[in-house]
Formats: sequence, C-alpha cells, structure tokens
Amino acid sequence: MVTQSNSRAKALAEGLRRGDRASIARCISMAEDRPEEFSELISGIYDPKKMPRVIGVTGPPGCGKSTLISQIAPLLSASGHRLGIIAIDASSPFTGGSFLGNRIRMEGTISSGDIFMRSIATRGTKGGLTASIMGALITLSCAGFDLVIVESVGAGQADVDILDISSTVLLVLAPGLGDEIQAMKAGTMEIADIFVVNKADLPGADQSKRAIMAYLSTMQGRTPKKLASTSCTTKGGIKELVGLIKEHEDQVDTGPFIERAFKTEVNRIAKEILSKRVDELSGNESGNLSSMLKSGIDPYSAAVKLLGRAKRL
Amino acid sequence: MANGKNPKSSDRPIRVLLAKPAIDGHDRGVYVLARAFRDAGMEVIYPGLLPTPEEIIRIAIDEDVDVIAISLLNGSHVTIFKKVMELLKKNRVQGIAVVGGGIIPDADKPRLEKMGVSGNYGPGTPMSEIIAHIRKRAGEARSKRW
Ligand SMILES: Nc1nc2c(ncn2[C@@H]2O[C@H](COP(=O)(O)OP(=O)(O)O)[C@@H](O)[C@H]2O)c(=O)[nH]1
Ligand SMILES: [Mg+2]
Repeated sequence: MVTQSNSRAKALAEGLRRGDRASIARCISMAEDRPEEFSELISGIYDPKKMPRVIGVTGPPGCGKSTLISQIAPLLSASGHRLGIIAIDASSPFTGGSFLGNRIRMEGTISSGDIFMRSIATRGTKGGLTASIMGALITLSCAGFDLVIVESVGAGQADVDILDISSTVLLVLAPGLGDEIQAMKAGTMEIADIFVVNKADLPGADQSKRAIMAYLSTMQGRTPKKLASTSCTTKGGIKELVGLIKEHEDQVDTGPFIERAFKTEVNRIAKEILSKRVDELSGNESGNLSSMLKSGIDPYSAAVKLLGRAKRL
Repeated sequence: MANGKNPKSSDRPIRVLLAKPAIDGHDRGVYVLARAFRDAGMEVIYPGLLPTPEEIIRIAIDEDVDVIAISLLNGSHVTIFKKVMELLKKNRVQGIAVVGGGIIPDADKPRLEKMGVSGNYGPGTPMSEIIAHIRKRAGEARSKRW
C-alpha cells in the first residue's frame, strides 16, 4: 500500500513539474478529496518561495465577474505570466450537487490552452472560498503558475475569506443590481483593493461610481483604494483595469499576505481534520461514547476526554 | 458534510462535463439535463454552447471529470463521437466515460456502443434512467483512474 501511494505521489509530482494538465487536474481533485496520499504529495511539492500571487475577484452574482476575468486573463497572460483561473460555485447543501457555469463566459478567451482553468464547488465550505483552495494553489505553483485569478462565489456578506489568500482583491459591482449599498454594509468594501464598476455601458453606471467614490472619501487613513470602470460589451476600461492590477501588485507588500494566507489556511485545515476525527471517535462503531456513558462521566468531561483522544491522529 | 466531515474519495460527487457540440437552435434542453444532474448530487460542468471535440477533451482533462455527457440533436453524432473517442485515446486519457444522448437513430447505436459511447438515450427517456446510467459509468471510470 505505502509503496503504491508513494509512487503515485511521486508520479504526480513529476507530472506537475512537467506542466502535465492531467496531473494538475488530479492533484486539485486530491486537494478536494484529501485521500491519504495527499499529505505525502503536498509535502513533496510545497515551496513557499514559489507560491503564486492571487487576484481575488468578488462581487454579487451577475455583476460580470466571469466575463471580466475572461477579458483581463489574456492581457495578464500576454504580459508574461503563467496564469491559472479558479472559479468557485456553491454546492447545494441538500444534494451536494453544483452547477459549475463560470466556464460559459470564459471558454472563448482561454481556449488557446496557455491558461489553466478549473471550476471548484464549495462542498459545504462557507465564506466564499473552499477548503481545497490552498492545495490547488500549491499544485499550480509546482506546475509553474505564478499568477492565479480566483473567482469567489459572490455570496455577499460571508464572502470575505477571499482576502486571506489574495494579494489583490477586486470587488466588482454593476448598476441596476441594487447591490452597491448592500456591499457597503456587508463589509466587502473594506477588503477590496480595487473597486470595479462593470457594465459601464448600462444606465446608472455613473451613479454607482459616484456612490462608491463618496464612500471611499469617508475611509481615511487606510491604504488607498483604486476605482475602475469597465464594460465587457465595449471592452472599455479593460486595459486600464489590468494597469491598476499590475500597479497594485507592484506596490503590495507580500509579507503580510503570505503570513495571513498561511495562518488562516492552517487554522481552517486543522479545524477540518479535528472535526473529522471527532466524528470518527464519536461514531457508533468505535464504542468510545458507549463506554463513557457506562462509566457515568458527565458530558462535558466526556467531550474533553474525547478531544484528548482526537489529538492522537 | 454538514458535520464538517471531509468526504471520503468514494463520497466525492460525480463530476460530469455536459457538452452540446452542435447548433440546434437553443440550449434549453441542456439546462434541463444540467439541473437534473445537479439535483442528483453531481457537479455539472457546463462550458456553453458548441465546444469542439478538442475543447471537450481539454476541458474534461482540466476539470478531472468522471463522465463526458454529450447531447446531439442534429445527426452529426457519429463523426463527433468518433473524434472525441480518438482524442481520448490519443491523449492517453484513462477513466473518463463517454455517454451520449439526443436524436440518435437506432441503426447507429451499435456503432456508438462499440466505440465506447454508451447510453445513447433519445428524447423522452426518464431522467432517472439517464442518471442511473451516468452513476454506473462514473463508478467504472473511477476504478480505472488511479
Ligand atoms: N451590458 C453588459 N453586460 C455584461 C457586462 N459584463 C457582463 N455582462 C453580462 O452579465 C451577465 C452575468 O455575467 P457573469 O460574468 O456570468 O457574472 P458573474 O455571476 O458575476 O460571474 C452575463 O449575461 C454577461 O454577458 C458588461 O460590461 N455590460
Ligand atoms: Mg461567475
């Protein structure tokens, strides 16, 4: 068993270093499923110095995130980056199923094959990201990708986790969605580095822009925010937006970003492992809880005792 | 998953690429399929209308799908399926099943089956039958994919 998984992990790592797409795809699946050999794979390919810059894109559903990404992607790719795109959609909490439709808007501009795009379903993770995202980023880094655009679910209020992994956060808004004010309340405004008023070809775009500018003028003493106005229909403002992204990437101090990403992801993964372990231990088969019940121990002490056992992974 | 448990590999939702590589007016039918697959607990990758066989293969590989489900309504099925199967072989893709559906004359079905394209359901097939078939093929495909 061990040798088999060993050689699998090795073969995958080799595939990644060659830039083999099937290997990249399989490793991202492993980050989602986390079979036993995943830990071996990830420790073999992780290189903190190679972690990609991440452009996080958030904003309400329908504001044009996917379309916008499809238009900035070729420009970023052409300027010398090996670019990956990860687009996240929600899983149904009831069936676990998901409709992953972000590709509909992107296929047209990524079909050359230089850009690697992957759709990921949240599979129960809240906060707009997924538990697998770090694994996907490490995978892409090993395959030579230095820049990754992540489209988050766009779930509004809860959608702030994107900050944890992004060196640049884009908040996309559009006229007519009635979401500008919503977004301001929800706290996503604070996390954005660049505000994008998309669908500038539609009426009401100026109004949205003014509302954001008014809001920004009240945010004193913070890192300066940038504002862009784009139209995916006329392609107006797309080049300027790419310029702003590059400018921000040049200015950003990656130290805090790397530290934040590492800390939050370790926290997230640890919780997940512990929670899984507690589930296992309290499951029927193990009999842990049955014997505790018989011993007359109180539920609180029993929980602490269970956690003690959970520590021995 | 509500209990925060990491799903076992066997709990991994089936990933299906739903492709409709030919023009036939509208894509309403394909959305009905997409919704049914999603409601059956699958992760449905829909790349939009008209992917070429080459694009289908690239997307299937990048998205690490278990099943490629191709819906064809305009009679180009034999050529397109043949191309897809050839490209799978050429790219040494293992463990991705190909399932067909749409308007496929009975006379062509044995040929498609022989190529490895199964299902080949026509209009009016109960959704439950299609879903059961995809589940079965996905299971087989996974056992071949290491
Ligand atoms: N008029 C107009 N429509 C746009 C623009 N950008 C995107 N759209 C449309 O808005 C809809 C939602 O776009 P999508 O990229 O899927 O949004 P997402 O949900 O934020 O990813 C689609 O019908 C797009 O064609 C734009 O700049 N102007
Ligand atoms: Mg989208």
